[in-house]
Amino acid sequence: MPEPQASTDSARAWGDAQLALLALQVDPVGLTGAWVRAGHGPVRDLWLGQLQQLISCTKVPANTDTERLLGGIDLAATLQTGRLVQQMGLLTQAQGGLALLPMAERAPSSLVAQVVQQLEHTTFGVVALDESDEDEAPVSESLRDRVAFWLDLRRTAYAEAQEALEALSPSEVERARHRLTHLSASDEQIHGLCTTAWALGIYSLRAPLLALRLASVHAALMDKDAVEDEDLQVAARMVLGPRATQWPASSPPPENDPVNEPDTSPDNAPPPEPPPEPPTESPAEPPSTPPDLEELMMAAAMANLPPRMLDQLMLGSQPTARTPHSAQGTSGQARSAKLRGRPLPPRRGSPHAGARLHLLATLRAAAPKQKLRSKGIAQPSQGRLPLVQIRAEDFHIHRFEQRSSSCIIFALDASGSAAYQRLAEAKGAVELLLQQSYARRDSVCVIAFRGSSAPVLLPPTRSLVRAKRALAGLPGGGGTPVALGLQAALQTAQNLKRQGSTPLLVVLSDGRANVTLKGVGGRPQAQADALHAAGQWRAQGWSALWIDTAVQPEAKAQQLAATMGATYFPMPHVQAQRMANVVGDLMQLKA
Amino acid sequence: MAKTFPFSAIVGQEDMILAIQMVAVDPSIGGVLVLGDRGTGKSTAVRALADLLPPIKVVEGCPYGCDPEAVNPCLSCQQRLEGKSATKLKSVTRAVPVVDLPLGATEDRVVGALDLEQALSRGIKEFAPGLLAKAHRGFLYIDEVNLLEDHIVDLLIDVAASGENLVEREGLSVRHPAKFVLVGSGNPEEGELRPQLLDRFGLSVEVRTPKDLDLRMQVVRRRDAFERDPEGFRAQWEDANAQLRQRMLKARKAAGQLQVSDDLLRTTTHLCSQLGTDGLRAELTLLRAMRAFAALKGHKQVGTSHLRSVAPLVLRHRLRRDPLDDTDSGVRVQRCLDEVVPA
Repeated sequence: MPEPQASTDSARAWGDAQLALLALQVDPVGLTGAWVRAGHGPVRDLWLGQLQQLISCTKVPANTDTERLLGGIDLAATLQTGRLVQQMGLLTQAQGGLALLPMAERAPSSLVAQVVQQLEHTTFGVVALDESDEDEAPVSESLRDRVAFWLDLRRTAYAEAQEALEALSPSEVERARHRLTHLSASDEQIHGLCTTAWALGIYSLRAPLLALRLASVHAALMDKDAVEDEDLQVAARMVLGPRATQWPASSPPPENDPVNEPDTSPDNAPPPEPPPEPPTESPAEPPSTPPDLEELMMAAAMANLPPRMLDQLMLGSQPTARTPHSAQGTSGQARSAKLRGRPLPPRRGSPHAGARLHLLATLRAAAPKQKLRSKGIAQPSQGRLPLVQIRAEDFHIHRFEQRSSSCIIFALDASGSAAYQRLAEAKGAVELLLQQSYARRDSVCVIAFRGSSAPVLLPPTRSLVRAKRALAGLPGGGGTPVALGLQAALQTAQNLKRQGSTPLLVVLSDGRANVTLKGVGGRPQAQADALHAAGQWRAQGWSALWIDTAVQPEAKAQQLAATMGATYFPMPHVQAQRMANVVGDLMQLKA
Repeated sequence: MAKTFPFSAIVGQEDMILAIQMVAVDPSIGGVLVLGDRGTGKSTAVRALADLLPPIKVVEGCPYGCDPEAVNPCLSCQQRLEGKSATKLKSVTRAVPVVDLPLGATEDRVVGALDLEQALSRGIKEFAPGLLAKAHRGFLYIDEVNLLEDHIVDLLIDVAASGENLVEREGLSVRHPAKFVLVGSGNPEEGELRPQLLDRFGLSVEVRTPKDLDLRMQVVRRRDAFERDPEGFRAQWEDANAQLRQRMLKARKAAGQLQVSDDLLRTTTHLCSQLGTDGLRAELTLLRAMRAFAALKGHKQVGTSHLRSVAPLVLRHRLRRDPLDDTDSGVRVQRCLDEVVPA
């Protein structure tokens, strides 16, 4: 499966990961750590093993509560000894070293927010392990922005991960750290970093800063007295390259830009071949004239571009478009209902697995039994009895009510001639709904199906700004692939469910399918596929609304709606306000 | 710890710096909402806030950091006063508090809760103040305020309006002062802010990443110098910081003396009614912002030029949004401003 060019690329990813280890060994705090995308497997284990051997790492599991994270009272020990026992927070333990976040993409936003906040105040680095797939939300951007290394080991094979750089001895680390304090970069070098970052569409100022830091660390590792161009190239490749969001204006897009296949939708099915790799082209790119520093850095950075960039280029989408689901905080809300939400009366239970002890209720439960208990207990040798005697059966825990948020998925039929009018109104409806959903914190997602594809135009979002931008260039025309649309909706709904929000599908179509699941014409097969997809939706038991846009109520749409278990609603002249009202009413019914 | 970038060394982001200085001059303006991209110096500016104002005097041992000369001090200070008849309370000086409210903070941490330490070790019921208490007389910073959960938002709205935190839970009944300047930041692409909370912010600024290369270089260079040698860098900027504090103090005094003429006030209300802002909060905030701005500039009179400068900051986030109109609200304010107050 891996093509030769891909394998060299993935081998280089491993080389970069090795270099990152050395750099982190010297300066974990200044570089603030790494974002490591890799599946759980031998390659990651190998790298992690090396990391933990070299640098002191503190693991911060996703269910860590605030007290454990930042330090607080050790409840168990306190109750046992009868005097106050403090415990050190995990992040305090990580001082001077690294905090390790396993499954960081699933970590609740509260945890990530606190880690990020502590990064500003104290001295430690973070290694965020991210197992997310291409179509899932990665670690929150606030964390990614702050760490120097963005490593991607997802496609590195174990066989490629064999060679390891020799680790530094303690004395070497000392020497490098000492050297680091004396190294500084020249104005031209800083200028170069800033222009390179800007040209690649990296607007956060943290990026050039981290790159500068890495260049210094690299120079220190190489025992140099000053930061040299080579160090900056390394920094550009490792820090700037993966963050790039656009092609620099000066350099041409890659030669292998496949103009002949611009219609394959990258979001839908896994692409038949791995996205074309720019690196094989770029090394050949440096011009023959004596290259100046900026060009060198640019070439280095271009060798390490994120794989999605070419896809985006092919789609002709906005280069600054964020990855899907970049809104952190939308996921995980349902999971932490033990900790947040509207308080409910406390309940008997033990304070583990994230539940918090309700102290007052616990004390109240223990109070009547105090006399009894003080008789039963042997006088401790130290003399003093604990003032309050609490047993496990007294424990009460906090309970919170948390409504899980919903997401409305719009599947828009963008085919045919009436599409423009209909789409404009649907767009208005989406915006109106987003406005109404302030208080409910619902999100909206838009899928448009036409021709032979059903791309997700607007990934689940609550942002009006983003919605407007995504819907601005909504295309119309072509065949009607109802089955594809429903399938894309199903996929999105499953993702949403995993993240803890409830999907609600709104289909806007006349139901006259004429494109099959495979993307080819043919009415009978198209209709059969559509019915099949509708049945799949029903099997999940999620609600749906079918808005029939045909001039006369259409039998096919009714049949599909019935198969889906959807509410059927004919609306020959789609109106934004009316549609928003219908959907709003339906949500209230289902809530 | 405690290595903060000196405020006076911050480059660029004039709007944000100005807004922050204005609320520091007159906290009653409300708060500042900073919307914009990552890595544009939002956090840096907020961490450096303590540089803006001289240290404050607080009652020694008071959990809420009361002013020794406060007219209505907190309960614990009242108790202290009762002990000694009418003598002044002992005070200590400390830096203006800048408190972070992290996303996902529990209600306990924000408003305060039963003191576990006291309850467990001594078996007594006592209140452990939360973040709101810590932020009293200082700044409360919320990063990614647009992702904050609703029940925390509700709490904040209430406390920010009343300047007082009322806790009625877990058998506790506590009331303590919590007057703070709310500073929120966030990226509007990741979620909208509730209109009720928006309204509580006096000023809003949009920060864009600086496009000027020289400026960007300067930022990187200074930040790098700071990270290499935080103490040295701070020492180098201490003079500038001291001057800044002087200027702030002077502006604070001056802002109280400045008068806004009836004519100007009429123009202000006209502007607000043209833009259709709800309630009188916009007018009031404009009035205060104009005074603070003029005071910062060292001007003796408040005029239309000041109105022109502060109106976008005050009004931009208060416009009612029309989903079918794409125009940026900043542009709408500017347009109306040109009409009502020609330059």
